[in-house]
Amino acid sequence: MLLRGLTWLVLFQLLGTAINVLFLTLLPGPIIGMLLLFAFLVVRGEVGAPIAEASSGLLRYLPLLLVPPAVGVMVYAEQIAADFWALAGALGLSLIVSLLFAGWLMQKLIDRQARREERP
Amino acid sequence: MSLDWHAALQAVVHHPLFGVGITLAVYQAALAAYERTRWMFLQPVLVSMAVLIGVLLLAGLTYQEYRDSTFLLSVLLGPTTVALAVPLFLNLKRIRQLFWPTLVTLLFAGVLATALGVALAWAFGADRMMLMTMAPKSVTSPIAMLVAEQIGGVAALAAVFVLITGVLGAMCGPELLRRIGVHHPAAQGMALGLTAHAVGTARALQEGEESGAFAALAMSLMGMLTAVLLPLVVVLVA
Repeated sequence: MLLRGLTWLVLFQLLGTAINVLFLTLLPGPIIGMLLLFAFLVVRGEVGAPIAEASSGLLRYLPLLLVPPAVGVMVYAEQIAADFWALAGALGLSLIVSLLFAGWLMQKLIDRQARREERP
Repeated sequence: MSLDWHAALQAVVHHPLFGVGITLAVYQAALAAYERTRWMFLQPVLVSMAVLIGVLLLAGLTYQEYRDSTFLLSVLLGPTTVALAVPLFLNLKRIRQLFWPTLVTLLFAGVLATALGVALAWAFGADRMMLMTMAPKSVTSPIAMLVAEQIGGVAALAAVFVLITGVLGAMCGPELLRRIGVHHPAAQGMALGLTAHAVGTARALQEGEESGAFAALAMSLMGMLTAVLLPLVVVLVA
């Protein structure tokens, strides 16, 4: 089951890579693969057991898979130090503003929809 | 007969599996530390990264050699990105009745989260490479790293920005949202997932089931939208 699901995932990724080279050089291959799998699931209307098993197995270890690329930050220590305050300020400020904006907007829209449903 | 300790150490350190070995060991230790303390600053990826950099410096290994010896792990990142379609599909079924609020919030807040980060970093004087790395900071790391590389940023740095954003958002997000009167669980989840991706989603799940589902949904949609639109926007602007 796990191997069958993994085969599907790899197949979609390879398909994505082919499409990336052929038509869509802007989008990374794995992302195209994700969109293809998503379209496939929508068409089928359900997630088959093999794909469900393989994807939950892989996604459980996603943080581990991200560690090696994250270590790459050691190569850029100087650039980070040079721009440290600009980066820290931009990250912190934009996070707080957009987080509050997203929550506020969603809340307003939900309230409005609820009011509209009350009076038909 | 004297044993050649130095040669043995060198053989171990430069073995093609050394990278995988230390990564697995350090990650599990970091995970255990996080689970025991539940302290938001102890994000396993962040801690593993710091410890591994220390180990590599001590062992005298370059990042290039480490990356080659962790190929077993990094080659799985592609299929795992593809697998993100599954939770996105599962969550999509849950939002039928809040479809329009979700879509509108996603578009406006998503654009704001991306544009404001880049604009502020630019205003504070960061260089172009840093701006391109900053742009995908609100999406989950595999997508952010892929996108950053695609548009001329640095994948490794993008992962760090993503983590910092996530940890900050998860730490102070719920409290700030309550202060400004955002009390609907879907709205709280949406805000957390949209801006603080996986870490925010984990936090939203602690707040409740509905909040968690919307956070997961917001995270996947934001990731997908960024992956599709950001490279296009960068090409058009530049």
